[in-house]
Amino acid sequence: MIRSDAALKSRGGASYGLDLETPGMLHGVLVPAPVASGTIRSVDLSAARRAPGVVVAVGAGELAALLPHGGDRDRPVFPSTQVLYRNQPVAAVAATTLAEARAAARLVRVDVAPAAPLLDIEDRYPEWPTDLATNAPGVVAHVLARHGDLDRAFRSAEFVHRETYRTNGVQHVALEPHACLAEVTDGTWRVRTTTQTPFGVREDAAEILGIPPESLVVEGTWVGGGFGSKGAAFLEPFALVLAAASGRPVRVAFGYRDEFLQDRTTLPAVLRFETAVAKGVITARRVRMMLDTGASLPGRDFATGYAIGFLLGPYRIPVFEMEGYAIRTNKPPFGPHRAPFAPQCVFAVESHTDSLARRLGVDPVEFRLRHVWREGDRTALHQEVGPFGATAALERAQGTIADWRRTLPAGTGIGVGLGFWSTSTGAGGEVRLRLTPAELVIEQAEHEIGSGSIVRGLVAVAERYFGIPADRIRVTNSPTSTAPFDSGVFGSRTAGALGRAIEAAGDRLLTELRSRSGATDPVRLESGPGGFLVVGGSSRRPLADLLTVEERRDGLVAEGRHYGRSGAIDTSRVVEGSFYPYTDFTAAVQVAAVRVDRETGSVKVIRYAAFHDVGTSLDPRMVRGQVEGGVAMGLGTALTEETLWGADGRMLNPGLLDYRVPTIAEIPPTEVVAIEGFLGAGPFGAKGLGEPPIIPVPAAVANAVTDATGVRVTELPLTPERVARALMLL
Amino acid sequence: MTFSLERPETVGEAIRILSDPSYAPAVPLAGGTDLLLDVDEGRIPARTVVSLARLPWRTLHWEGDTLVVGATLPFAKLPAEAGVRTRLPGLVDAVEAVGSLALRHRATLGGNLGRAAPASDVLPILLAVGAVVRLVSASGEREVPIGQFVRGSRETSLARAELIESVAIPSAPRSAYVWQRVRPANDVSQVGVAVAWAGAPGAWQVALGGVLPTPVRVAEAEAQLPNDPPTAAEIDLAARAAAAGAAFTTDKRATESYRRRLVSTLVRRGFARAMAAGGVP
Repeated sequence: MIRSDAALKSRGGASYGLDLETPGMLHGVLVPAPVASGTIRSVDLSAARRAPGVVVAVGAGELAALLPHGGDRDRPVFPSTQVLYRNQPVAAVAATTLAEARAAARLVRVDVAPAAPLLDIEDRYPEWPTDLATNAPGVVAHVLARHGDLDRAFRSAEFVHRETYRTNGVQHVALEPHACLAEVTDGTWRVRTTTQTPFGVREDAAEILGIPPESLVVEGTWVGGGFGSKGAAFLEPFALVLAAASGRPVRVAFGYRDEFLQDRTTLPAVLRFETAVAKGVITARRVRMMLDTGASLPGRDFATGYAIGFLLGPYRIPVFEMEGYAIRTNKPPFGPHRAPFAPQCVFAVESHTDSLARRLGVDPVEFRLRHVWREGDRTALHQEVGPFGATAALERAQGTIADWRRTLPAGTGIGVGLGFWSTSTGAGGEVRLRLTPAELVIEQAEHEIGSGSIVRGLVAVAERYFGIPADRIRVTNSPTSTAPFDSGVFGSRTAGALGRAIEAAGDRLLTELRSRSGATDPVRLESGPGGFLVVGGSSRRPLADLLTVEERRDGLVAEGRHYGRSGAIDTSRVVEGSFYPYTDFTAAVQVAAVRVDRETGSVKVIRYAAFHDVGTSLDPRMVRGQVEGGVAMGLGTALTEETLWGADGRMLNPGLLDYRVPTIAEIPPTEVVAIEGFLGAGPFGAKGLGEPPIIPVPAAVANAVTDATGVRVTELPLTPERVARALMLL
Repeated sequence: MTFSLERPETVGEAIRILSDPSYAPAVPLAGGTDLLLDVDEGRIPARTVVSLARLPWRTLHWEGDTLVVGATLPFAKLPAEAGVRTRLPGLVDAVEAVGSLALRHRATLGGNLGRAAPASDVLPILLAVGAVVRLVSASGEREVPIGQFVRGSRETSLARAELIESVAIPSAPRSAYVWQRVRPANDVSQVGVAVAWAGAPGAWQVALGGVLPTPVRVAEAEAQLPNDPPTAAEIDLAARAAAAGAAFTTDKRATESYRRRLVSTLVRRGFARAMAAGGVP
């Protein structure tokens, strides 16, 4: 069995958020704002309070009595004045049954003086904001960095190629909805929840509620898919408020429609490129970005600077200017979606890269090879690039493309996309190893979210580090009150950071065993029929002999931690805002082969190949699974998935019928190639692989469509109608 | 939403429950794949849901050249039935376009007609071949041609407490249904086009789905097709005529101009497919 959770999940034995129950539990339901924008005149809870089964009803006005600080901080539980988006929770009701709570929620009278909502950033700024727009209406962040003499580079160029791209919102569509169960007793706040970040929820919810983090205990469940949607406090503060007000356990769970209506995710953007070319190479680029942030953008200018960094690509561009605006609209808040905003940026920059190659008449892969970073190169913000497998991956892709050109039918379009990612952030983590004669237990904070990074990734690291078989290794998790700290399952960092923590704890264990065994050489473990052996030089001793009675039962314990280094940027190139210091660069090259119906605009992806700079494969089967999953998800972003909004701020497709994720019928045969040897910061040189597989998909597909048709579609997703429009059929 | 479920054993009992004010509002349930979403989200108020599962309508038989499909027969049973694929290839095209295979094991022809969705994949082919809906109520049975049965978007000529018993579908060995969607699998068709030859020169019939509140026959297109087989030029004229009709819908699934483009393309493809579909009556 590759994954230790497979049998449990196949039997239905894994307990998820929606399985949370406890005797005497109430059901909490959120009351949604009826309009997308406006000023709250009043929230009348009296009718809801009189409804059958209702125990408590809470709005902004009621919070002061509940919370030490009234919840009145930057992110209040409920708004007291402004409605920022339609369905924004403005109150909550808890009742003995879910049906009663829902019925009561409909009795809450929310009186709002409506204002015209702003939904489209191009409605607010049909022309781009000016350089002075930092304080302009709706602009929540402005970032600007530049280097070199752009005007001169543009004047001396053979041509300057200008293109504008647009991308639309995509949703997470995790199979499991958000759900949590909160209890507040004797000053201890406790919430069980389905989350990617137990400690993140603790910090976040404590801040929102105005309580000390130590007084809140977060306990995870199995997670039925996250993709970034379960990475911060979401329903937990509501459930905790209702539990505090009622003195009873309260469960709050989203229905599937709520998942769509409330999703905090990627929103639309406009991306504009001006690239100067001389003697067949890029000499300068100006990029500008307008990013729709919805009601808010966590991290504001940091997030804006992070996104815009992708628009220069992993390419040597000596002179540049990049400028990004984040603009508020009346939609749910922006939030991280697997490789936040990178697939969209890479679609734009890689489409533009292909346009340049076509204009020059140069093979698109060859054109990329002329510019792509190699080890020792510097990024735009002057970060040094470490071992980087992009060139090797591009060269492998060239072989596949040549092969497909020979074998696939005439008319097939073939396109390539190159993305980069930064996989080992400063986000740290800790583990506790417990070694008994029979097994090695890895104690840590995280719950498996589906990728396998916990149930298989951590085991694979320990297997390789100690040289013991997987069936003698067990991963456990515990609540934030007792678990070693970890930052969360996100950012392609989990197996890497916790894996390094396992190595650190392992070093301590082995050092201790060497000292106890009196060995002069380093020792290692061996798995024997009677339990582990400690082997060093000519010495082979049963582990049990080196342990106390208590240790034989509870294990010899060692803790390990890994806090990665953040990269550093050259701030002299930054004019305004902050930019993301990427580290531990990884490359992802993907190739798509498509057939385009030139009468309807339909695109069918018939073959796919993915070349990933993984450093070291911790488990090739998991690499394959992770890449296949990311490609499948990315095909949705490329071809069918987009959130649609009515003029009143209503989401028009809050469901799986009109929000179209790919089905298995749309997934092509996918070849997965691990490019190894360009070692990263993870254990044994592994690089993260959670997010890279989704990043180049829209780019590869879009470039294949252009290869097939000669026309370029400049907006995601490439629906049949958009392709038909580009083909001038309409 | 909560409702009570009734499972009558006979047609009479089903009609009685549907007419009894103490059950109201009551709605009949076939496969439920469409209805229950609306009931669940409160778009259809229902205190009682009357399951037709125990009625003897999961049937299919031929009356001479006419296929009679019972109202509660799951779609998945249709293509497998002997003769259906050769005698009504367009119907099989349409049935296999509905949802996914899993869904077609529950969804029924009767339910699809009763719900009368503008983008129904089966209504256009039923229009093109001239199907007749057989209804039953307390006042007896009646037959209504499909074109009169569908009155508007989600509107039918079903009277209160009247049920669809079966659909009589004349065979059309040269028929086809073609469609276009954002996502090929398991999506709502942006446009569907059915073409069928009714057995005499000048008897090619063309119907469109997804472009107007109800599926429609397009006489202007049919008028371009006096000969059998039609020439490429005639088909081209028919395609243009079909696309030039009344104001088509613009909605979240497609714009009007794209729908016009699709109609013209799909009419041509529908003819190609229908004429390739044999022709042995």
